[in-house]
Amino acid sequence: MFSALIYSFLFLSAHVFSIHAQEFFQEQLTLRPHRDGTVLGHFAFTTLLKSATPREPETIRIEDTSQHYTLFPLALGQVLREYAITELHLSLNAGKWSYDRWGYPEEDGVGTGAELWAWMAEGPGASVDERWRGLRSNLAGLFCASLGSMDEQRTTSPSLTFLPEGDLPGPSTPYQLRHGTLPSENVCTENLTPFLKLLPCKSLSGIASLLNPHRLFDADWHGMGIHVRYVENAGVEVRLTFQGVFDPVRYSTDGKRDWSLHSIFDRTIQKTCPVARHSKIRLISTTDAVDVSPAPNTFNAAFSVYDVNTVSKPLDISMQWSNESHFEYPLSLDSPPPTHISVRRTLKGTEQSRGQLAIVIENHQDKQIKASYLETMPWLLQFHLNSIQVKWNSAPRDDLMSIVSYIPPVPHSRPTLLQSVLTLPPNGTMDLTIDVTKPFLRYTEHPPDAQRGWDLPPAVFRPLIIANDSNLRRLPRIYTPILLVDLATPDFSMPYNVIIMSCTLIALIFGSVFNLLTRKFVLTKIPNEPPQ
Amino acid sequence: MPPRIVEIIRGMRGGGDRNVARLRRKRAITHLCWKSWPILSLTLLVTGYAWMLTIPSTLHGQKTYIDENALQPSQVTTYWGWTDVHRTDGYLDALEALRDRNASGNEYANYISTEFRKLGVPAATQNYQILTSSEPLNGTNAFAILSAPRASGAEAMIVSASRISMDGHLNLRGISTVLSLAAFLKGYSLWAKDLIFIVSDGYLDGMQAWLTAYHGLSQSNIISEPLTLSSGSIWTALNIDYPGHSFSHLGIFFEGLNGRLPNQDLLNSFQKISLYTGGVPVTVYDHYERGEFPDRDLADIPWWVPHAAMNIEAVKEYVYRAKNIMRHVGYQARGRASGVHGLMHQFRIDAFTMFAIPSAGPHGFHALGRVLESTLRTTNNLLERLHASFFFYLLVGTTTFMKIGSYLPAPVLVSTAMLFSGLGEWARARWAEEPVGPDEKEREPGLGTQWVQRKRPVLPAILFVIGTHLNGVLLFCLIASPWASRNKIFTYPFLVAQAFLFPLLLSLATTKTSSPSTTAPTYQILKSINLCLASTVISITSVLNFSLAATLAILLGPPLIWSGPGKYRHIKAAGYCVLGLGWLLLLPQEVQKALWNWEVLGVWFAPFVCTVYVPLVVQAAIATVLIH
Repeated sequence: MFSALIYSFLFLSAHVFSIHAQEFFQEQLTLRPHRDGTVLGHFAFTTLLKSATPREPETIRIEDTSQHYTLFPLALGQVLREYAITELHLSLNAGKWSYDRWGYPEEDGVGTGAELWAWMAEGPGASVDERWRGLRSNLAGLFCASLGSMDEQRTTSPSLTFLPEGDLPGPSTPYQLRHGTLPSENVCTENLTPFLKLLPCKSLSGIASLLNPHRLFDADWHGMGIHVRYVENAGVEVRLTFQGVFDPVRYSTDGKRDWSLHSIFDRTIQKTCPVARHSKIRLISTTDAVDVSPAPNTFNAAFSVYDVNTVSKPLDISMQWSNESHFEYPLSLDSPPPTHISVRRTLKGTEQSRGQLAIVIENHQDKQIKASYLETMPWLLQFHLNSIQVKWNSAPRDDLMSIVSYIPPVPHSRPTLLQSVLTLPPNGTMDLTIDVTKPFLRYTEHPPDAQRGWDLPPAVFRPLIIANDSNLRRLPRIYTPILLVDLATPDFSMPYNVIIMSCTLIALIFGSVFNLLTRKFVLTKIPNEPPQ
Repeated sequence: MPPRIVEIIRGMRGGGDRNVARLRRKRAITHLCWKSWPILSLTLLVTGYAWMLTIPSTLHGQKTYIDENALQPSQVTTYWGWTDVHRTDGYLDALEALRDRNASGNEYANYISTEFRKLGVPAATQNYQILTSSEPLNGTNAFAILSAPRASGAEAMIVSASRISMDGHLNLRGISTVLSLAAFLKGYSLWAKDLIFIVSDGYLDGMQAWLTAYHGLSQSNIISEPLTLSSGSIWTALNIDYPGHSFSHLGIFFEGLNGRLPNQDLLNSFQKISLYTGGVPVTVYDHYERGEFPDRDLADIPWWVPHAAMNIEAVKEYVYRAKNIMRHVGYQARGRASGVHGLMHQFRIDAFTMFAIPSAGPHGFHALGRVLESTLRTTNNLLERLHASFFFYLLVGTTTFMKIGSYLPAPVLVSTAMLFSGLGEWARARWAEEPVGPDEKEREPGLGTQWVQRKRPVLPAILFVIGTHLNGVLLFCLIASPWASRNKIFTYPFLVAQAFLFPLLLSLATTKTSSPSTTAPTYQILKSINLCLASTVISITSVLNFSLAATLAILLGPPLIWSGPGKYRHIKAAGYCVLGLGWLLLLPQEVQKALWNWEVLGVWFAPFVCTVYVPLVVQAAIATVLIH
């Protein structure tokens, strides 16, 4: 009896230990106050499946080996195995990220709407496009988002801008990128609930307990992301992220920018998530004189760190500008600006058939920057490449843009892909214009809200090389805001008038033609006497 | 069937061959038409004018309603309160200080954009210069873009105020309302569209410079800085015009450039919101509604109306509606914007101006702020652009309007009358009546006459038509030239000669005599083409700009129909001269305004008058003085 008990205890502990050796979970919250009074909150929940490798596409037709996950999200893991995905990034965002005010985000993918991109190995089992389609549908079901409509009309392969963030196993295996955007997709509680279900502690404990939908979805900008990558010698890593830019000034009654976890999230951390290996809150320091409470566990010039597992609870970090009676907005933007370049993209022109895409890029550095510029435009807007004009500080400089690849759109089926590299001389402004055509849609292609127009995906920039910059780190992508284009739209409130009108015309034409064709022509003599 | 009826039917069919009977019937109908076309065309003409007269009557018109369900006007709780009014007063103080030291437009713009930035709303200024034939207009616009939280920024709404009000005073209260609204609206996260706040310099010029820059249009005479802030496509705009100290009513001004109108849903929503949320009654323009000041109602009635009729409700209502319609026609026919909002319609922005009618009371910033907040909430609800077929209407009262079907027939009937007259003239040109006889020698009087067919040479008449229109283009170029505007006294007689006498004399000199029995006279063919052309112009214009079409129908209808040689043809020709070019001498202010509108805002009225209206009258004059 006793030995059996010991035996089972040993077995259990061995089992538990083996699992803990296989999967690591850690969570981190980064809080970053901005100069305009807002605070960025960035949640990252990382699960590492140690020494796992992505499924090879050769094995896609045979039954997969059993997967046992304790911390790794099962629903997501199954999708990854089913379609042999090596790297995957899904982001669902709402709002317009202001690079000029908030700088670079903690997660790159801040384009408005949904963005999904995946790196997949090629293999004989199933084609990359089939697996991409399956992945889209499965993620759509998993996250309650309309990713299914991210079809061939929105899928491109922009490999210059979207490089893999992890490693791609097998040096000789060819890999392919699939990328799609859905700018009109929104993010709300129906997306957050499945997101929370993937976390080992849900939103019950640890940092995740701050994820209060009422506050998250009231933020000036908010977005969630799912990032899967393979890291050589480590394993498959899933990172679930949520970013939000909160405006404490809007919540405060006296116009101050003081904030605390409670004032931002309406919650505090009551208990730790027991399975989290690390649970940290990073508070980025500001140059202002501020009172921070409670005292952090460790701190340096750049940030202070709280270890949620050890610090006393309930934990409510707060930051107070005690010498400010009310917050005064900065009159000018930071100089130097917080990003290397800033971009404005607008659609000019008022015609329904033609327009002009105008992009203004400012290089804030006193160094030359090479940046990639990507447009993945649905066929709803067609570029005239011969009309591209590049001006540097108002002088024509066509040599500053070199097109790396251009795939023209196919109406009703394929989007445009324009990848190019821009050379931005130090300190100046580039004006880039492209003439565009707005095509005529079939009437069945109009959405139910036809008079709204069509959302166009953001352009993506990525600084590639900065001259004379020794610490070459990976530079983040920069997304422009989305655009709305008005295409020629019939007045759908008048279909019956149109039908009646055209039927009448057809009847008139048919009637006269039929009459002429069937009429018999005869000679008649009219006697000259007047009619009675 | 009773035998009597059968007999009647048989009588109508005629005996004998059915085909013969049918052909005879056809001829009889043609004959009837031919005989009665002058009556028909007169009937159409009279009906058309009668219809025009009934437009202001209570026979027409229906209550306004909201067509777009998303708007939900006056359904929200407003939060604009006295603290916001206090802040507005603060801005007003600062602006009045600027006014007292006679600050330039640039200083205003800098102050305003700084205040926007202090509120945490990104703001910028835009310098512009507009070159006109008289003097260049310089100014500085200030604008701010409040990015809506959580929204993609693909759509936007404008709240604007021009520095100069439409009544010529400074619009300082309008500007302080815009500033204070920015502070107030920033506190809410419910905005689904970006909010663009614009304080434009001048009255119309600043907004034109801003709008063309925003939409990337290049207008050759506008030199403006590019905008340093951008947002999405603009759907709706509210323009605030508050020149007085307090106001009693909010007046709606809605006519845009070239006769464009905003979607009526916007105006109807505003009317409801203003009345039910703000408690401020709405008027059309600055016309007080009937019954609000009974004494003023009587003042509007013309003196010649019999005293007994003055107190009849229907007469009062007719006068009230007629006043609104006349004001509307005044703006729309001339293609003039009734406020700063009018520049936006061409960019598919539904916009109107709310004019705070100056008065001793009772309303001020508190009511205006609430009305604006609620109206913005309403336009914020829009998921699509305003698109229901609500762009053609006559707003005859604050809550009464006329649908297109109830007023459009009036000018169309007149134009049909003109078309029938023209076609009749064409048919008459075909036939000449001459005595019976194989050749001229054997003709004897009393033998009767017969109809002979004639040739209808179209070319000379067409050349006159083309020539007069080209001459109209020349007339416009001359009037619009800076030289003409400087030396009016010398140029205007010359212009009358160029536009009127010259074509007349040239046509007299070039027309050859021909036998009336073999060839139709040129004047007849010219008249026919002239009438058909004028009719086409009126009926096409009627669906683009009703007021212009109605004005053309009134001015051109009878004069063109009754053109042609006669006893007093020289007097008639002089009449045509006054009708066609009288405005040159009688309305010099109008000419200047129309030219300014063309140069700066691209209003088509001035070129239209010179190249379409004047030539049509000149053609009628030519048809009158020609004897051949």
